[in-house]
Amino acid sequence: MPRGAEIVLACLRAEGVDLAFGYPGGAIMPLYDALEGSGIRHILTRHEQGAVFAAEGYARATGKVGVAIATSGPGATNLVTGIADAKMDSVPLVTITGQVRSALLGTDAFQETDVFGLTLSLTKWSRLVSSIQEIPGVIAEGFYWARSGRPGPVVIDITTDALKANMEFAGPVKFQPAPQPVDAHGGDKFPAAVIALLETAKRPVALVGAGVKLAGATCPLRELLDRLSIPTMATVHGLGAVPAETPYYLGMVGMHGTRAANLALDESDLLLVFGARLDDRVTGEPTRFAPHARIVHFEIDAAQLDRARTCDLPVIGDLAETIPAFLAALGRVSLPDWKGWKAVAEGPERAETDPRGLAQPTVRLLDELYRRLPEDSVVLADVGQHQMWAAQRYRASSPRGFITSGGLGAMGFALPAAIGVQLARPDTTVLSISGDGGFQMNIQELATVQRLGLPIKMVIIDNKYLGMVRQWQQLFYKRNYAETDLSDNPDFVAISQAYRIHAERLGEDRMRELPLGTEAGRLLDDFLASREPELLVFDCHPEANVYPMVPAGAALSEMVFEE
Amino acid sequence: MQVFGIRYRNTQGTLLRILNAVSRRGIELPYVQATPAEHSHTVTLLLEVSPKQMGQLRRDWQAIVDVTEVRVGGRVSLMAKPASNWTQAYPPVSAGGVEAARTASA
Repeated sequence: MPRGAEIVLACLRAEGVDLAFGYPGGAIMPLYDALEGSGIRHILTRHEQGAVFAAEGYARATGKVGVAIATSGPGATNLVTGIADAKMDSVPLVTITGQVRSALLGTDAFQETDVFGLTLSLTKWSRLVSSIQEIPGVIAEGFYWARSGRPGPVVIDITTDALKANMEFAGPVKFQPAPQPVDAHGGDKFPAAVIALLETAKRPVALVGAGVKLAGATCPLRELLDRLSIPTMATVHGLGAVPAETPYYLGMVGMHGTRAANLALDESDLLLVFGARLDDRVTGEPTRFAPHARIVHFEIDAAQLDRARTCDLPVIGDLAETIPAFLAALGRVSLPDWKGWKAVAEGPERAETDPRGLAQPTVRLLDELYRRLPEDSVVLADVGQHQMWAAQRYRASSPRGFITSGGLGAMGFALPAAIGVQLARPDTTVLSISGDGGFQMNIQELATVQRLGLPIKMVIIDNKYLGMVRQWQQLFYKRNYAETDLSDNPDFVAISQAYRIHAERLGEDRMRELPLGTEAGRLLDDFLASREPELLVFDCHPEANVYPMVPAGAALSEMVFEE
Repeated sequence: MQVFGIRYRNTQGTLLRILNAVSRRGIELPYVQATPAEHSHTVTLLLEVSPKQMGQLRRDWQAIVDVTEVRVGGRVSLMAKPASNWTQAYPPVSAGGVEAARTASA
């Protein structure tokens, strides 16, 4: 008779899992004991946070459920940031944690934490399993909720005695949900309502978020937008959903969005939102968001409605169904001519300008890297100034091509997430961009990269500060750079070499040469073409800032620009 | 003050998720009454909320797995008599559902 641990692994296989990330420990040891021959490849990271971010990277790159495994107590608590990250960015994730034996629950036993209670507000669904009989049903149900509707994280916490117990096992089960209440949406009448709004709009715009990609609705969306041909913008998670060279595409919107996108949204009188949750990084001051616009919100999760403002017309449903339905209804409907509005919104007066000041070399480095990347590459950004520069300059059209921790903004995300991405897409160039602060938060995962020989291309934008915080301190706290000084950073090249990973340093003066010098160009070519993991440390000016910027409490139209 | 009635399957943590949707918004919970009714329990909450919070809470609750109905308005009934037969947790799928639970309690 199989043990609970073997049943867990068999059920994971039945859910299509062939890769899991984790770190062993006492309570979860029975599961690790059963790994061999299970058909599941386990990737050992060097910190549980590395495991859960790697599982996220895998899930974000593929759309499949990422799996992270950890032991009880500190192992489980080290997963919490990744679980929160998955919740905020709608990532399908299942974490399996060991728990102390059932008789000890609630006694503050060694390495006991109430991970079920801790993660209640961060999970779509979770379960504390204390008997082997529950295992098949719980795994089936957990995966169902991780994948369905708006994807998200699930925690399955299993006592060690349940993992060690034995029972007759007839095989994995299928989960059938009970009917859920259906929230109000337009049903099949919504297309007519949206068309009616379009027919009277003078300044319509479209905003695209991650939900389009999660629904697999990028193709019908592009068709719809081509049909409408209205000024269109994207959230950071929507980047790549609309090809950047499309004439009506204005770029990223929000706190560090483009001038054109922010102004167009601010001036619009009709806002079509596709799979974006309108969080405060996008809206600016919520009470002053899209002040003249009626809002139509295409969204699968009704809980995302009415954050910034009450929407005028919710369209709740799977975007893979609602977008094609709307496109079909548009048919040969004659829409107004918005030429005058488009000339203003898309006009050259609002076009992006390249940075001229301290940020120019860093932005140029990113442009030179992006120019050299194959079309199907994946770019990951950690959190901070480099993240915003990386997003602002991103021009590829790959829906899963730009990955970052958006909603939570968790530093230390990019390097471990890149591990998951590279394993998911072994033939793809994976470029991971971090700041010097964030890179150090999960620097130990260089060991994982080296052990697996993953040819990840890692870049550190090293400005020797906690850059984004320093920027805010400069602009809003009178240059009081409290606790953001990282000028005593270690030698990242030496550290990388200690992990047996080749590294180079590049000074920003090389990125001021016009045209780019031969040596610098060759360095970048070799860096990207290498079949080994590589690290490039770029010296960025300590006081380079990200512009445009919408200050806290300001409307999108009140951007601050580079002086 | 507004009365909310939420019907839910009493699975592990569902009531806690319902209450957490309130507490995470810094809203006080002056009155909470949970009443079992077969496998579908009801929790009644009395909350001081703005119209916007009301809409957000309603949608948050409806998004919780195993919440089946959310009603706004109604009366708060004190000293409600619980149904006597159904005090167990909702059985897991692998245990065969309602029939298995009935058999187990017989």
